Amino acid sequence: MTRKRRSMAWIDRLGMAALVAVTAFTLLLLVAPSLIVIAISFEPRAYISFPPSGFTLRWYQAVLENRQLMDSVVVSLRTAALVMLICLLIGVPAAFASVRGRFPGKATLNAFLLSPQMMPGMVIGIASLFFGAYVAFRASNTMLVLSLSVFCLPFVIRITMARLAGLDPRLDEASANLGAGPLETFARVTMPQLAPAMLAAAAFTFIEAFDNVTVALFTSDVRGRPLPVELYYLVQFDSSPVIAAISSLEIILSFLVMLVIARTVGLDRLGR
Amino acid sequence: MATETTLLRAVGRWRHPLTSGGLAPALPAVLYLFIFMVLPIGTLLLFGFVNIERGRIVDGSFTLQPMIAALNDSLVWRLMWRSFWVAVVSTVLTLFLAYPLAYVYGELRGIWRTVVLVAIISPLLTSALVRAYAWLVILGGRRGIVNQALLSTGIIDEPLRLLNTDLAVLIGMTQIHLPFMILPLLAVLAERDKRLEEASLNLGASRTRTFFKVTVPMSMPAIIAGLALVFAVSYTNFIVPQLLGGGSYSTLAVQVYEQTIVVLDWTRGAVLATLLLGTCFLFVFLIVSVGGRLTRWSEARP
Repeated sequence: MTRKRRSMAWIDRLGMAALVAVTAFTLLLLVAPSLIVIAISFEPRAYISFPPSGFTLRWYQAVLENRQLMDSVVVSLRTAALVMLICLLIGVPAAFASVRGRFPGKATLNAFLLSPQMMPGMVIGIASLFFGAYVAFRASNTMLVLSLSVFCLPFVIRITMARLAGLDPRLDEASANLGAGPLETFARVTMPQLAPAMLAAAAFTFIEAFDNVTVALFTSDVRGRPLPVELYYLVQFDSSPVIAAISSLEIILSFLVMLVIARTVGLDRLGR
Repeated sequence: MATETTLLRAVGRWRHPLTSGGLAPALPAVLYLFIFMVLPIGTLLLFGFVNIERGRIVDGSFTLQPMIAALNDSLVWRLMWRSFWVAVVSTVLTLFLAYPLAYVYGELRGIWRTVVLVAIISPLLTSALVRAYAWLVILGGRRGIVNQALLSTGIIDEPLRLLNTDLAVLIGMTQIHLPFMILPLLAVLAERDKRLEEASLNLGASRTRTFFKVTVPMSMPAIIAGLALVFAVSYTNFIVPQLLGGGSYSTLAVQVYEQTIVVLDWTRGAVLATLLLGTCFLFVFLIVSVGGRLTRWSEARP
């Protein structure tokens, strides 16, 4: 009996050690590449080395002075803002119908609304390109915004739905019973409770649209390309730390977005 | 006074469309998806079965020939096989890396939870391109970080060929898709009812046995969801194979990109995209249905 128990404990300890070891390795794997990119962006020499042989900000200066890169940043910022706006305008009301709606076929509607997340970005991109050609509409940054909105819409709907499902409809009823009209109830009871989710959804959509390359490669304009497409070509031909510098700037941007999400709905809500 | 009451009653009857429980608020989104997703995907499927000249369909040119040609092309099958096994291996790897982390996260409290969560989410918000670039730097030629380290410590004399191999593609894909596996697992494992595990321990089962007999079966639905999601994104990823596999490395997804953007053979691009999407859905369906069966089977066992 004691012998058996001791062997069990031995297996348990081994299992525990393996668990902790794999966890540590996975955490390292998640974080290390970003940290390495940030580190090499300070490399003074014109090629990549790690750890960096010194410290310089010249690559950041090079990024800021690179006209083409800065133009693509502007294109990407504008694209991301427009995509965010479209997705919020049509996504938030759709989430209301998905959660509060009482009509037959609601499950089908929800499946349809979330279906873009089943589509690979490449398929959405190519499909938009072909459909555009069919109706004589060339790949352009308008097409980019329209197709990226399809890609990003499920994020807004899912985040808003999750929050909406957690709200108590009786609060709305209470407001109505106390004499508030539907508009007043909506503006003063429902919206304030929903605002954090909408802010998180907006932040998440913004960063996804800003970073997207799989849709953008097919639908963006040949001139005035967005940043990810510009980077996609740059990465294949340039090995100087310039890309590390711009990547580091992107990593910092994503950290800011994460801060917004953490402060509004909480990071742990993102996965559901 | 009377008019005011009538007015108030009229306003009272008018219900706000967002909260009235109707379908109406979803209509703009439905319409949007119909125009900008359903019609384009329909066009994509159609383009594989017609002749196209300058983006226009040649009238009355319906043909099965491009699809038959693609299905008879051994290259297409070889590329599909590579897409498939690379996706399978990388998906299984993400599961083995993600599960322990999600499990340990469930045991953490306070600040450590936040730290780990930031580590998990931050790659998700960093563009896939930036992360592929990071692996380019780490694995790349003589100046790659791995080779630099190994050469300077004298472990090897000649730089290892890491970049432009299956291994590089597998490493990149696995790391880039890790958050997609971790998040569904986290949702289940972080909130799990620990009383079940305690009951198992109290009944004399070891921790290891409890882990495999209680915790893992409990999280089966999340495991299946994670597997399906990561398989789908790995199978259709064309950025990582292009950047880390090198110029001559191709998968079905890479081929779709090249036919559409480089070769500009839209008919073939459309056929291959249809095959890619069709097989992807098929495999995801298989994962979900076989996974569901396995779950029920393991639940039925004593």
